[in-house]
Amino acid sequence: MIFEKRTERIFLAIFFLIALCIPLFMEDNSFFVGKITTILILAVFVMSLDFLVGRVGLVTLGHALFYGLGGYLFVILTPEYEAVNFWIYAFYVLGVSALIALIIGAVVLRTSGIYFIMITLAISQMGYYFFFDSLEFGGGDGLFIFIKPETSIFGLNFLNLDNPTHFYYLALLGVLITLLTIKIVLRSRFGRIIEASRLNPERTEALGYNIFAFRLISYVIGSTLAAYAGLLFALQYGYVNPQFMTWEMSGTALVMSILGGMGTIYGAILGTITYEGLQYFFEHVSEDWKLFMGGAIILMVLLLRKGLAGYLEKLLEK
Amino acid sequence: MSTELFFVQLINGVQYGLLLFLIASGLTLVFGVMGILNLAHGSMYMVGAYLVWYFVALTGSFTVAAILSAVIALGLGILIERMLIQRLYNRNHLDQVLLTIGMIFVFNSLQSILWGNDPYGVAVPEALSGSVPFTDNSSYPIYRIFAAVICIAIAAALYFLVSKTRLGMLIRAGESNREMVEALGVNIKSLYTIVFAIGVMLAAISGIIAAPMSSIVPGMGESVLITCFVVVVIGGMGSIKGAFVGALLVGIISTFAAVLIPTMSNMIIYIFMILVLLVKPQGLFAK
Amino acid sequence: MSRITILASTVLATTLTAGLSSAALAATGDPIKIGLMLPFSGIYAQLGEAGRDGLKLALKEHASQLHGSPVEFIELDTEAKPSRAPELASSMLNQHKADFVIGPVHSGVAMGMIKMLRGKDTIMIIPNAGSAAATGPLCSPNVFRTSFSSWQPSYPMGKVALEKGYKKVYAISWNYGMGRESLDAFKESFEAGGGEIVEEVLLPFPSTNFQSHVSAIADKNPDAVFTFFAGGGAVKFVKDYDAMGLRGKIPLLGSGFLTEGTLQAQGEAAEGVITGLHYAEELDVPKNREFRKAFNTEYGHYPDIYAVQGYDAGQAIASTLDQLNGDISDKQAAIAIMEKLTIDSPRGEFTFSKAHNPIQNIYLREVKDGVNVVQSVAAEALEDPARGCKL
Repeated sequence: MIFEKRTERIFLAIFFLIALCIPLFMEDNSFFVGKITTILILAVFVMSLDFLVGRVGLVTLGHALFYGLGGYLFVILTPEYEAVNFWIYAFYVLGVSALIALIIGAVVLRTSGIYFIMITLAISQMGYYFFFDSLEFGGGDGLFIFIKPETSIFGLNFLNLDNPTHFYYLALLGVLITLLTIKIVLRSRFGRIIEASRLNPERTEALGYNIFAFRLISYVIGSTLAAYAGLLFALQYGYVNPQFMTWEMSGTALVMSILGGMGTIYGAILGTITYEGLQYFFEHVSEDWKLFMGGAIILMVLLLRKGLAGYLEKLLEK
Repeated sequence: MSTELFFVQLINGVQYGLLLFLIASGLTLVFGVMGILNLAHGSMYMVGAYLVWYFVALTGSFTVAAILSAVIALGLGILIERMLIQRLYNRNHLDQVLLTIGMIFVFNSLQSILWGNDPYGVAVPEALSGSVPFTDNSSYPIYRIFAAVICIAIAAALYFLVSKTRLGMLIRAGESNREMVEALGVNIKSLYTIVFAIGVMLAAISGIIAAPMSSIVPGMGESVLITCFVVVVIGGMGSIKGAFVGALLVGIISTFAAVLIPTMSNMIIYIFMILVLLVKPQGLFAK
Repeated sequence: MSRITILASTVLATTLTAGLSSAALAATGDPIKIGLMLPFSGIYAQLGEAGRDGLKLALKEHASQLHGSPVEFIELDTEAKPSRAPELASSMLNQHKADFVIGPVHSGVAMGMIKMLRGKDTIMIIPNAGSAAATGPLCSPNVFRTSFSSWQPSYPMGKVALEKGYKKVYAISWNYGMGRESLDAFKESFEAGGGEIVEEVLLPFPSTNFQSHVSAIADKNPDAVFTFFAGGGAVKFVKDYDAMGLRGKIPLLGSGFLTEGTLQAQGEAAEGVITGLHYAEELDVPKNREFRKAFNTEYGHYPDIYAVQGYDAGQAIASTLDQLNGDISDKQAAIAIMEKLTIDSPRGEFTFSKAHNPIQNIYLREVKDGVNVVQSVAAEALEDPARGCKL
């Protein structure tokens, strides 16, 4: 069983059960389906960050670079007025993202701690300025994806991405794939070495493992998953903008992940839903919603020692 | 670029760098002593600027307004440390990051509720409003010279405080060995409160000094925050000397970049920082 | 402090209406739903609030034109963040079923909204964002604009500069849509008349470290400087320009946003700045005097350009509904009516172009004693070229 904890199993079972059914109740409200789709996509992004920060020990404030790149790479790689195959182009986008992550990772992983935070932030800001200042990529106004890709596999076509409900299930599938990928990686020998090198790098190194290489591969995995989230987000509304890769975006994801319970992975889903839910609620209650949002964040950090997942575990693991 | 313009821009760069140092000094002090990464540091800069604007409108005197604002900031620092930061000393660093992000939300909201969202400006105080002839058709404002002098004075004061006083000794001891300071019978809690409050006050003072030279607008805190981090990272986190050198370097480089390659100028400081970190992964003056 | 009480009452009201809305609506008949997608927090918050206040004032003044239909406002804070724009626009369209969507301020957000709302069964009215694309390549039957295109305030300034005898001009702005488009529009008319741009500088947005550029301008010694900056950046640029001693030596020209809503913050430093805009606070038009008085009575302060643009969006809605006898169900009919409206705006009357951008006067203004004083009409009934629009 790759889900060790009872709490984790209970949460995920409830989550997937509800998530699978949501569109059935909301067939007539495409906004809510869309909103929850966005939350699911964000959850993919936050899980990939949680993996890097909580499990590999790489605190990055530049993760949104890959979130933005997922969308931009799709626009760059596809012909403008042609419906391409989603799976093939997702493969291309992720391949290029992985390559970029490999190059960036090779540079940034030479630093650690707060310097790693800053160097990742710097690189993502550079990406932001690159797209913001470039006329060919629409500058600050961003770009439209005019035609959504088709999704047939071996001639079979289940999903029509123009249909919000179909897109919803694609995003949910993304959550499942990401969750499983991360869990399988963590359960493997590779994952145990990663865990060991986070807890005791000197010792792991002394045992003959090249920590740098393990971290680099993890960085590539995390970044590629983030690019997948970014690709989905860009396709959902057919719109990319450099703002997707600002440090605020990375910061928000970090907040979601810490709120959920750092390193728990399923907590990232919980954190994303909670954050987005609170924001949605406060926004509709008051113009000064940021005051409440800030207050809620402060309260939660003071009251919850290990995030929401930690709190749940306290209730359920006895 | 003519020699004359080169020197003009060098002066501009130094002046910008000195202000950057002032903003960054509190950040690096708090990190160096307490190990806290205060993302709300920019908000304190904003608070300083808004407070001085508010009190200038109320009292008509920049000096009175500046003193009032600095004192309030000091009080605010004590309050924040006692009510919030103190509860997180035994926690993960990321919890502290989360807390200070929450504080950014709160301060931005309060700013909007208390003072509205119009852009404001503070007039340069009468006594400093003149300017000295500079080049053929430009002059240099006395206030900006004054601001630079204040920044240097504060840098000197900080250096003196950290290296020559008893408080400074405790600060230096506290950052290397918390238990030892406590064993000496010093209450580390009060020491941290003082250091954090000084950090907040330094940020507010830079907001106060910058106010007559800039615009007071929502979001002004976040706009300086990142540059500030770049400065302290280049210098080496926690090092006051490093922040000073880093600030001057960033000030000068970004000033020249702005004129020579304007469209790229925002990237230049990041590229510079990355290069520094590749050569010295702990910054220039790492401890 | 009054906002705290407002806040408390909205909390209460929202909780109540959440439960009651469906019943209440059934009793009063179909309301006209007006969605506001404006920034209510962050750097553009002031612009968003002004637009909303203007809009609400117009609908209050013209309540009789609605033929008894109640109005329901839905307000969503865009935070000027493009990433949220499609989602919020979807909320207006699919969740709230808004008849009109008013927004945004920010051009990037405009793109995200247009992506979602183009060709849909709701009428989008842009009360600020000047992006050329909105009434250019991306124009759409259901998208209107009551503000301006970035081209409009800047294009006439080229001619103005030439008339004043300036031959060599230094152009500086931010490197983003509005900045580039403003400089291009100025260049278009200035170079056509034989003027020369000695240097064109595009700074990263939203950098406000202008001092070195002002030094560079002093070194270059042009006949004049043309610029687009707005908000906090405008305040900072004008202050730096003055502080380094250039005011009074090298004339400063700009797109009107340089001195709009910023004069108080700029103070003495803005004296003598010459700008072009489709409005001026002291514009001597009866409608403007009435409007300013009414706005001040309602809100306790005087309106700015952003309030005017919101007000005119409200006027357009009211006039359209008047002709439809208060029934907004047929959007095609509403669009057909809106296209033919003449809006009696505080800026002077304007009509919509084929691309749905205002055809309006651009006034030449000079700052005197802290007021943008109208010198002349720089361009009469100026129509945006709407390049790329197929309407």
